[in-house]
Amino acid sequence: MSGSTAPARNRSTLRLQPPNLGRTLRSEWVKFWTLPSSIWIIAVTIVVMVGLSALMAWGMSFTESPPQDPGAGGADVTVQPTEDGGLSTLGLMSVTFSYSVGQIVLAVLGVMVATSEYATGQIRSTLAAVPARTPVLVAKVILVALVALGLGAIAVGLSWLATYPILQPEGMQLDTGVEGTWRALAGVPLYLAAIALFGLGVGFLLRHTAGAIAAVLGVLLVLPIIAMIPIDWVQDLALYLPASAGERLVLGAPDDTLTEWQGFGVLGAYVVAALAGAGLLLHRRDA
Amino acid sequence: MIEAKGLTKHYGRKVAVDDVTFTVKPGRVTGFLGPNGAGKSTTMRMIVGLDRPTQGHVLVNGKAYARHAAPLGEVGALLEARAVHTSRTAYHHLRAIAATHGIPQSRVTDVIETTGLGTVAHKRVGGFSLGMGQRLGIAAALLGDPHTLILDEPVNGLDPEGVRWVRTMMRDLADQGRTVFLSSHLMSEMAITADDLIIIGRGRIIAAGPLQEVIDSVAGTSVRVRSPQAGELADLLTGAGVTIQSLEPGLMEVDGLSAQHIGETAARAGLVLHELSPRSSSLEEAYLRLTAEEVEFHSGAVGDFSEPQVGAA
Repeated sequence: MSGSTAPARNRSTLRLQPPNLGRTLRSEWVKFWTLPSSIWIIAVTIVVMVGLSALMAWGMSFTESPPQDPGAGGADVTVQPTEDGGLSTLGLMSVTFSYSVGQIVLAVLGVMVATSEYATGQIRSTLAAVPARTPVLVAKVILVALVALGLGAIAVGLSWLATYPILQPEGMQLDTGVEGTWRALAGVPLYLAAIALFGLGVGFLLRHTAGAIAAVLGVLLVLPIIAMIPIDWVQDLALYLPASAGERLVLGAPDDTLTEWQGFGVLGAYVVAALAGAGLLLHRRDA
Repeated sequence: MIEAKGLTKHYGRKVAVDDVTFTVKPGRVTGFLGPNGAGKSTTMRMIVGLDRPTQGHVLVNGKAYARHAAPLGEVGALLEARAVHTSRTAYHHLRAIAATHGIPQSRVTDVIETTGLGTVAHKRVGGFSLGMGQRLGIAAALLGDPHTLILDEPVNGLDPEGVRWVRTMMRDLADQGRTVFLSSHLMSEMAITADDLIIIGRGRIIAAGPLQEVIDSVAGTSVRVRSPQAGELADLLTGAGVTIQSLEPGLMEVDGLSAQHIGETAARAGLVLHELSPRSSSLEEAYLRLTAEEVEFHSGAVGDFSEPQVGAA
């Protein structure tokens, strides 16, 4: 190695630009895609989601063939098409239901985008480069949202393709003409993005991977179990849990307490609250 | 130029940095010396806005770090070798930092070459030795070609070749007119590298100024005198501010007088000298003395050394 160093040789040509949101987003983009784990987590998640959809469709195709008159029959108890959707409801369900598995991965992914920086010390490099700090949070929000939307859209698209040949012979394939189908299909990436952002917010709030994952999965998976306790006020509150409210966008509203979009709005409120708290603390706390 | 004024940092009830005021000048290498836990790293983190001061402020080239349009062009900082995600390669780590300021890839390649990381640039940082981690941290600090460099324990973990490389680079950067501020708990390293010195102990500045002045102010110089007529000579030398210590018959150590003065006094009196050797105490001795006092006494006991302005004396 050379003894004489000349780090300044580019002094005249090196022109720096302020670290605005666009450049910070580019930096976050580079950081995300240069972690090998990002790519394989996304790949595995998509494969698992599509695989589960295909399995579900395969299982459905084996159920007792319902009467060939869609909408008329209640003969088969395992297959319960709704009145207006007919058997295509089953196709829609097999395409969308794997969101429930995907949300776990995306919640963890959202958490990790924040906490892995603290665990490794990377956050100090990040915030030294962008001392305004807010652009870092906003860039990560955009990054996580894009990744989750993209993953969700690809998973739904591939699930559709994978289940179609299985269900079509049974007349169970989804029918985009049925009201609410597009909403449910788009609901998967939207719901996953909201969950991932919730994870990101909690990750920034708690800064420790294990604690943040426990908190997010607790809210998403454990609280709905507690909410099964048949006490009126518990039932009332349960409506407004992030997962139960947000899921309406994918599953449809089973009652008239919250519409699909109102439910998703409740989830959005949790996300905004978590991110706002994260932004505030990111500013206040020492890195 | 770094100017800290009344800089204070509390962590809960623990006072990490206590009302610290100092200036680090451009064109010089300023050493920031203190035992572990003295507040060096905290002070440096406050300079680049990672920690928020409880009181006081610190400016870099007249502005708070975060207020500069392109912060990486103002200050490059190596705060800890491990400020890097371990699963990323060195190249991608630098590329991500560069992206925030629109720094071109050619500059990334440049600093990789400069810091000798060429062969490991595409390996994961997790597998780096401590020395390689330091080089990567220095590469990141150099990315924006900053006016001011802040390096926390830069030679930590480096092999002798690496230590010399850092030393040479610090010198080059200071000679280009940049501000170079580096911390260490290794006194010997500072003695070689630094022009100015700020010594911190338990969160307080206990000495600051040009290297030699700091050493002199603490330790002064002593002269070892060997003479068959040591007793007579001692009588002649005795005076205010002079201490004479007899080490063995015919050998004494004189504090507070120059070798020149002692030699001339002996010549005038016709006394024979067998040895006359000035011994300037090392930075290490001065440092141990300073920090020992800081540990032993409360504030005030070291008031003589609290002159805050580097180079002001």
